Amino acid sequence: MTRLTIDRRALVLAGLAIAAAPLAPALAQKRKELVLAFIPQENPEKLQGDIKVISAWLAKEIGVPVRGFVGSDHAAAVEALRNNDADISFMGALPYVIANAQTGAVAVLAEVYRGSPAYTGRIFVRRDSAIAQLADLRGKAIAFADPISESGYLYPLDIFVESGLLQRGEDPKRFFGKVYFAGGYQQAMQAMQAGLVDAAGVSQYADLLLTPDQQPQVKWIAESKPIPSHVVIARKDLDPALKAKFVAAMLKLNEPQNVALLKHVYSPDGYVAADPKSFDGVRELAKAYGLMN
Amino acid sequence: MARRRLLAWIGLALAVALSQNAPARADIGVETPWHPAAAAYRSMMFLGDLKPVVWDQIGTAYESPHPAAAVSRPAKIYFESLKGSAADAIVKAIAAKNRQALYEAATRATSQLTRQALAEAADSLTMPGKAHQKVMEAQTLYRSFGEFIDQTDPEAGKRLGRAWLELTSSVGSQGVLGTGAVAPELEVFAAARKVIEDYLAANYEPERFTARERLTPLPESVAAAQAEVKVRPWLPPGSNLNNQDPLPKLVLNFEEREIKETDLPLVAYGDMLFDSPLIFGEPARSLGLACSSCHNRSDVNQTFFIPGISHQKGAIDTRGSFFNPLFNDHRRGSLDIPSLRGLRFTAPYGRDGRFGSLRDFTRNVIVSEFAGNEPTPFMLDALVAYMIEFDFLPNDKLDKRGELTEKASASAVRGAKLFRKPFPQMDGKACATCHIPSANFLDRKAHDIGSARPSYEGGRDGAFDTPTLLGAKFTAPYFHDGSMPTLASVVDWFNDRYKLKLRKTELADLTAYLETIGDANEPYQKFEGKKTKFRLDWEELTTFASTFETLLPKRDAKHADLMLETVATDLAADASGMANTAAKPKVYEVAGLLSDVRKAIVADDWAAAEKSWARFKEFQAKYDEEMY
Repeated sequence: MTRLTIDRRALVLAGLAIAAAPLAPALAQKRKELVLAFIPQENPEKLQGDIKVISAWLAKEIGVPVRGFVGSDHAAAVEALRNNDADISFMGALPYVIANAQTGAVAVLAEVYRGSPAYTGRIFVRRDSAIAQLADLRGKAIAFADPISESGYLYPLDIFVESGLLQRGEDPKRFFGKVYFAGGYQQAMQAMQAGLVDAAGVSQYADLLLTPDQQPQVKWIAESKPIPSHVVIARKDLDPALKAKFVAAMLKLNEPQNVALLKHVYSPDGYVAADPKSFDGVRELAKAYGLMN
Repeated sequence: MARRRLLAWIGLALAVALSQNAPARADIGVETPWHPAAAAYRSMMFLGDLKPVVWDQIGTAYESPHPAAAVSRPAKIYFESLKGSAADAIVKAIAAKNRQALYEAATRATSQLTRQALAEAADSLTMPGKAHQKVMEAQTLYRSFGEFIDQTDPEAGKRLGRAWLELTSSVGSQGVLGTGAVAPELEVFAAARKVIEDYLAANYEPERFTARERLTPLPESVAAAQAEVKVRPWLPPGSNLNNQDPLPKLVLNFEEREIKETDLPLVAYGDMLFDSPLIFGEPARSLGLACSSCHNRSDVNQTFFIPGISHQKGAIDTRGSFFNPLFNDHRRGSLDIPSLRGLRFTAPYGRDGRFGSLRDFTRNVIVSEFAGNEPTPFMLDALVAYMIEFDFLPNDKLDKRGELTEKASASAVRGAKLFRKPFPQMDGKACATCHIPSANFLDRKAHDIGSARPSYEGGRDGAFDTPTLLGAKFTAPYFHDGSMPTLASVVDWFNDRYKLKLRKTELADLTAYLETIGDANEPYQKFEGKKTKFRLDWEELTTFASTFETLLPKRDAKHADLMLETVATDLAADASGMANTAAKPKVYEVAGLLSDVRKAIVADDWAAAEKSWARFKEFQAKYDEEMY
């Protein structure tokens, strides 16, 4: 459930960073090592173990020491890349295009999940509700995950634009009666399932975050355009040779003898080289919603 | 056929009550990590309701890191951070073994922690990232109470649920490098915080608590009203009723003979009952517990665990207060769950062989251990018919007389001789005296080998039924209490206990022999491509449904209803594990048709039932290719 866990790193249970002291980054300029900035996930101690495993494997493959640390969120990871405190990080397409615009960081790898390097956002409603189409949500309450999220906000919101119910960049409250940011996919879906809101605008896989007994109680009524999957990004000035070695090593995770290691990097099915053009649509949306110039 | 079962997805942060009657089940269930204080609180309340109360484990839940918590930090550190004497009150209540005092102290403290996190969020609103983090922390603490508020005070549950949404939405966002930053809405935040804090203070920190018979944290307003309220049974954090992974291979005699289960309706119905929580009473029923929860795929579910009820993974006390207070033997008698492979050869049943009849044993499990209604003769016939199909795992290192084949190692061959060697220290007996190779390595007798202390002076209650050694390589741990982690440790135990003075090489040879006779050609179910776990479930559940062809002409409403509810509920729940997610709605559609059959039967409209049944069969065939 890569799509799910990735966003949850920053959004869902960030509160559980309560006792997981983030490891401090080191000054990059003076080091001869590759530093990876990870985003928190719901189980911080498991993530620390994962980092140890994947760092050791990468070090062996690349031939230089590899170290990982957990930042507090996407913003901290981007900050670390900008300050040369980290070389590599993992994040969604929206924070990436912002990081790319502001720091020159580049996407080097894209995650593959369920056979695709893309996914969608969906509008979910309760199966027993009277809501059959998007227009039925006029004046109703909707929960999104987070304002800085491609699948947990921008793309699901843009479904309403494509349907002519909203203008791009328009305040969504002019259509909805209430707009919430629940903090994550799971919270948004639970709020909808519990009847606290009428709809949830989240990742296509977010229904899997409900219990198996709750999942039959919900359905989706609209789907967004494809969203590029989550990416692995490198800071602007990372040594090209080192970057190439890192990418080659990561692609080796697709090989049968290494696939078991994928569970230590947020559990994608595999990686492909990132396609720079695939982010054009994300940039376009980010600009339309005032997140980029 | 497959089997599963469930996990009660224990208390997601904003979870609202599921249908009160439908068993909660899941093949996929990963418990969201808990806040350490919330994990300890819920554990203490659960353990405090067991009779006898397991005070030592309550102390551990408070003092030690909780295995279900997101971080390995003892709960007491959080409680000790509170101003005043909240932590001391908890410690004193545990020391005094006072349930009411424990409830009051721990409940107050957990509520205070939640409000403290909200206060810290309010103080951090100029730093949206930190404020958001604190709100989320408060939410993970509120999880201690949330589901009980939702169930017993639903109006307040919704009001508080919306307040949490207001909080997460009004806290603002720091954006990325300043881009997309959203300023907090202070007034909205303050109003939402007040809604939550007022409710918590009134219901979880009242001046005086109503005396509690049960420690389930009901809101004080509900408890004080003393009206009858229904609360869905719940388990403490760290419970695991999920299937083990990899899934054991199930060997059924009829399948090996290429006889279709659909041609054996009694067996198929028994297979369904083996997977059905509906044959049990509360709380097992609502928790989704079935025979297969413990005896998954006729084997043992080595990951099964309920704190306070299991002394370790793969163990359970079926005679405690939790599942059937009437049958509570007031002993802490958690036992290692045995495999049921080869069940028709392994009588008598029960760890000490107390039941000679499988039918009697089965009835005892349903009625006495898990508080179910008296099963009908048909149900018992069906369950027995199914369970006697359980075969041992094929093992090409062993012939049918229990002798090693040429595929066994030299070490195992040497071990075979030791296995048959009589030892004077064992009254001239050999291992093979009880574990008779030609009799599936058992003798159908109970022996006291010294593996348990008598429960009282002069007691003779330490004898246990000789277990088979077939398949034993995959059923660790060993002995009635699971105290031996490996076969090597079992060999060492006998060597020490009976002073056999075996050399190291002999110990290794004997272990090699046990691992060889306990081996299997294919111990686990293989999945690849479209042969997914859901495919296995689909085939199994539609086989169960096929028994309707037998029940329909008899107008057997009682047994049809039980089957249809089991299959319809399972099908819909199992769809959550589909690889082909696009076909999930089709599974719901098919499950819905079975529910339609059921509704028609309840209305005694058999013509409508037949019509829906025909549609079910049509859609089953139509969608079959997509079911993976």
